[in-house]
Parts: sequence; C-alpha cells; structure tokens
Amino acid sequence: MLLIKCPWCGARAETEFSYGGEADIKRPEAPDKLSDKEWADYLFMRKNPRGTHRELWNHSQGCRRWFGAERNTVTYQIADIFTLSEDSG
Amino acid sequence: MFKESNRSHGLESFIAPESEQNSQAQIKVSIQSNVAHINLRGKIKHRPFLEHMETVLDQKLPVKPNTTNFENHSIFWLGPDEWLILCPLSEATKLVKDLQGSGGSMHAAVNDVSGGQIALRLDGNHVRDVLAKGCTLDLHPSVFGQGMCAQSNLAKANVLISMGHEPHAFDLIVRRSFSDYLLHWLKVAAAEYTTEWSES
Repeated sequence: MLLIKCPWCGARAETEFSYGGEADIKRPEAPDKLSDKEWADYLFMRKNPRGTHRELWNHSQGCRRWFGAERNTVTYQIADIFTLSEDSG
Repeated sequence: MFKESNRSHGLESFIAPESEQNSQAQIKVSIQSNVAHINLRGKIKHRPFLEHMETVLDQKLPVKPNTTNFENHSIFWLGPDEWLILCPLSEATKLVKDLQGSGGSMHAAVNDVSGGQIALRLDGNHVRDVLAKGCTLDLHPSVFGQGMCAQSNLAKANVLISMGHEPHAFDLIVRRSFSDYLLHWLKVAAAEYTTEWSES
C-alpha cells in the first residue's frame, strides 16, 4: 500500500485517497472554436508515460481536498507533492 | 436511560437499561445525542471571516491541520477552510444565527449538520486497541495525542476521530447512516473487553 502525504493532513494510507488522473490539463479557452480532433484530444487523450507522471489525487476520506503528485509509474515512488494554487486555504 | 429532551438517533437498541449499566467497564461508549454539529467554511486569509468567527465563538479556530480547540465549544479542523463545531443542542439555533452574522462583506458558509451525523464518546484504557483494529491511522499516544483529530476510515466507514477531553477519551463522529453499522462493528471489536453503552 502507498503512503501518500496529503499537503494538509500528512502521511495517510492509500485507501483514504482517490485518483484523479493526469494533472495540468487546461480547459480550452475558446471551446466553440475547437475542431473535433482537438476536443477529443482534450477529453480523452492522455500521456500515460512510463516513469514520472504528474497526476491529481483527492483526499476523499480525509480533508476532501485536491492536490497533485509526481509519481513514478514504474516504482510507484512519489517524488513530489504539490497544491493547486487556489485551494490552499 | 432515554430522556425526553434527547434527539432520537435510532441507536436506542445499543443502550443497556440503567439496571444493567456497568460503571467498572473497561470501555465506556456514550452516544452524545444532545450535541449539535455545525459545519463552518471560509478562508482564513479573509480577515473579516476569521475576526467575526473568533469573536462569536470566543475562541481561536484551530488553523493547524489535525488539531482541535475545546476551550469554549469543541472545534475540530476538517480542512484548510473547513471546521466542525460541536455545541449543546439548545444553543445551536442561536449560534448558527450569530455565526452567519449580518452578511455584509464576509464570505463564509455556516450549516447545521446535526441531522446528518452523530458523536460518540469512547472512554477507557483499551479504546486505542479497539480502534486500531479497523483504522490505518497511527494511534500511538506519541503520534496521536490530546488535542489531535483526524478524518479517516474506521472499519471502512468515514469517521472523524479525536482525542482531547480526557487522557483516554476519544470522540468519534460518524454519519448517521453509518452509525448503526459502526456500533455493530464496535461491539464485535470490543468483545474481549467489558463495555458499557449509554447515552448522554
């Protein structure tokens, strides 16, 4: 089991968290000008790298806040934990 | 003993009649039915919010994660912008009104969530051992001591566990819909100890 360090609550068991997929995906600024291919890209296409992956986590059974983690998809080692700018209290 | 003034909580079947109460029990479970739960949300960086709340509550909000402040009311840290306040049921309506204030420039949310959750007090030397059976938190006194609180899972149910009022007393706050399940689990988990179940 992973021990994930919530930026607020500290290290907690993986069972308290839920995974939120790839981080840093920005909603298109002009959605009505997008082609179908660009929409599909935004909605469905993910990097799925082997190695370092920036991803979102939610401390759903704890403080219920979103944050980001930089996790290695091979070793499961979490190198960095970061908060999302607006939600730091 | 079921008192007229107490709010019904559906857990009456767990409470032993007064004649069967065992005051020497190793673990005492008390259902806190006369307590109101108020959820408070707001940004601590927002000065009018913090000043107004701390004036009305007459105590500091615990802004450090996983901590409590039991000076006046029982206040638990739930998140960087969220707290739980426990107060006597009879004072809740006035407190909610006072916390909401006159509105103005303050950005905050105050909600009475008493109907949705229930508080239990667990007292005794072996409470830690029982809780540890269903919880991933490190409950050792050196890590989880007085004045601490944490939201986590207890036997898969989402709970707020807190330590503070007395050296061996834990407060357990759980959603009402999970309370029946959690008390059944607690009964089995604490089977090796003598227990007393009451209401206050």
